[in-house]
Amino acid sequence: MTITNYEEREAVADARSSLGIRVVQQLSRQYLLAILIVLAFAVGFVNPYFWGGGNLENVLFSAAFVGIAACGMTLLIAGGMLDLSIAGVIAVASITAAKVLPFTSVGGAIFLGVVVGAVLGLVNGVLVAYLRIAPFIATLGSLYLFLGLAFIWTQGRVVPIRSTNFRDLATMSFGHVPLVAVVFTVLAAVTFLLLNRTYFGRTLRAFGSNERAAQLAGAHVNRTKLIAFSIAGAMSALSGVFMAGRLASAEGNMATGIEMSVIAAVVVGGTALRGGRGTVFGTMVGASLFAVLGNALNLLGVASYWQYVLTGSVLIAAIAVGARRRDAAEVKGAG
Amino acid sequence: MSSHTTTQGLVERERSLSAETAARMDRRQRITQSFGILIPFVVVLAVGLIFAPNFASGSNVTNMLVNAGILAVVGYGMTLVIALRGIDLSVGSTLALAAVVAAVAVNEWGGVVGTLAGIAMACVLGVINGFVITAFRVPAFIATLSTMSVFRGAVLLFTGGAPVMIDDAPFKAFATGTVAGIPIPFIVAVVLGFAMWFLLERMRYGRHAVAAGGNPEAAVDSGIRISTMQMIAYVIAAASAGVAGVLMASQLGTVNGSLGTGLELQVIAIVVLGGTSMAGGRGNIVGTFAAAVLLAMINSGLNLLNVASFYQYVALGALLVFALSLDGVQRQAIRRAMEGKLS
Repeated sequence: MTITNYEEREAVADARSSLGIRVVQQLSRQYLLAILIVLAFAVGFVNPYFWGGGNLENVLFSAAFVGIAACGMTLLIAGGMLDLSIAGVIAVASITAAKVLPFTSVGGAIFLGVVVGAVLGLVNGVLVAYLRIAPFIATLGSLYLFLGLAFIWTQGRVVPIRSTNFRDLATMSFGHVPLVAVVFTVLAAVTFLLLNRTYFGRTLRAFGSNERAAQLAGAHVNRTKLIAFSIAGAMSALSGVFMAGRLASAEGNMATGIEMSVIAAVVVGGTALRGGRGTVFGTMVGASLFAVLGNALNLLGVASYWQYVLTGSVLIAAIAVGARRRDAAEVKGAG
Repeated sequence: MSSHTTTQGLVERERSLSAETAARMDRRQRITQSFGILIPFVVVLAVGLIFAPNFASGSNVTNMLVNAGILAVVGYGMTLVIALRGIDLSVGSTLALAAVVAAVAVNEWGGVVGTLAGIAMACVLGVINGFVITAFRVPAFIATLSTMSVFRGAVLLFTGGAPVMIDDAPFKAFATGTVAGIPIPFIVAVVLGFAMWFLLERMRYGRHAVAAGGNPEAAVDSGIRISTMQMIAYVIAAASAGVAGVLMASQLGTVNGSLGTGLELQVIAIVVLGGTSMAGGRGNIVGTFAAAVLLAMINSGLNLLNVASFYQYVALGALLVFALSLDGVQRQAIRRAMEGKLS
């Protein structure tokens, strides 16, 4: 009940107020952005090196790697789903790109990697939509399936990337803004439009909030699930291809555990796991927040193991706060 | 008046119809579920005996029984949690932290204290899981996904990334020893399995927990406190992982920070394959035990056939998808049957 009221009120307010007021309202809701800015200044105060151009570039790189995958995850979570297989998709897609690089152009390799990612996403979609397996468990299974494929393909070895063109493209920067960060921004805009301005996004949000109702209303739930998983797979793959370019290699273990950071970025950004709505801007801020946090831990010389502890704790805290703030309904990803 | 009686007659008839359907679907589910484990069991056993060299040799059987025992022990706790409509993804990290604490304590104070310390540590982690899930209302899969990461971080911080050697000989002899030719971990698994079966089938807590998993609303209305049920279940799940961790530490004689990574998937696979539905409300300890033996056979068979260990990931993923689609398809069939009868 409270949720509907909230949304109604929001809709009425949005309709009445002018553009300027809406911008202010939108900003006032972005308390997370304030946290990000305060955190950045605090880190910069403790260690001025933080504001160095090279370091900021590093932060933007890691924000973009997590963020590109998080755009796809935002779509899935808005649809009440989830993808834990990102690390596997990244591994297989970037190994594909690395393996075909000697034989094709840079663009061809990236394209093939992304296509492979979309296909793996499609596999997830079939498991969830047609075999009716709960998303988190289906994608946990496919995570190991994809990782297994990656290890079998490479026999557990690292695939080096010798193409300097590819490496230059992946690490290219405009001033101190990496190309990946630009790609991330563009993809975030695309995701926003997909989620809020298309039939696909509307269907996704509809069954994210109530699958039965969406089905009865004649929405193509299964087809939309397949598309959403494919898009998420393609986005993870793109992130992986860039990652491989920056590492100058691809291997099975290259992104182990990234799903935690990605989910954390989306959830901390304000997209509730219960589905039905998603905020892409929040995801961008969330990804940046985790990038700054990770960078801060490095700069402060904290053992990297603390990152496991911190990511997990922040994720729990974010969900716990979310559950307290709005009357928590049942979460979808669980079943 | 007459219309009233007609309605009542209709209600009576539809009730008996739906009860009949439910009973029939239940029988069918029981049968398909036992086939779900029986068919792969027989196939794997036959393939192993025919193709894998030394599959039935004494040392390999011992090896399989030890691995099956350790898997089964973790599986019991997971069975309870899944029957309660929850999940515990942190079992691998819990096992590792319990094993590390046990290893350090064994070196310091001996085997008994070490064992107790490891299990106690696991119980603390279980309380943390239960607290996050019940008090903060964080969904189980995401809460335990997070604590999986947190506990793993704790293990790595605790060990500093270096393996912990155990120098207590009697402690190391425990898991590698046998009684009447049967390895001790397997005996532990059988005894604990019986205890868990008794808890689930014969004790009030188990009945209430399964009821709460099957229909939480009805359970609450009949006065069952779901949060208490869940808290106890997560502590039991963590304690089982702790027991398995101590057994593993004893078996390996050394504990490193990556012990038990990916364990959650194996355990979920055996639980679901054993006939415990992800939808909750049904726990099958015997099935979990049988599926643990099955998985141990698969792993050992692949090892003996010199298949690269990477293929074990794929085999496991395929097994899990098989078990889950069986579960999913069944649930859908039941829903269809019930809706068909009622509308």
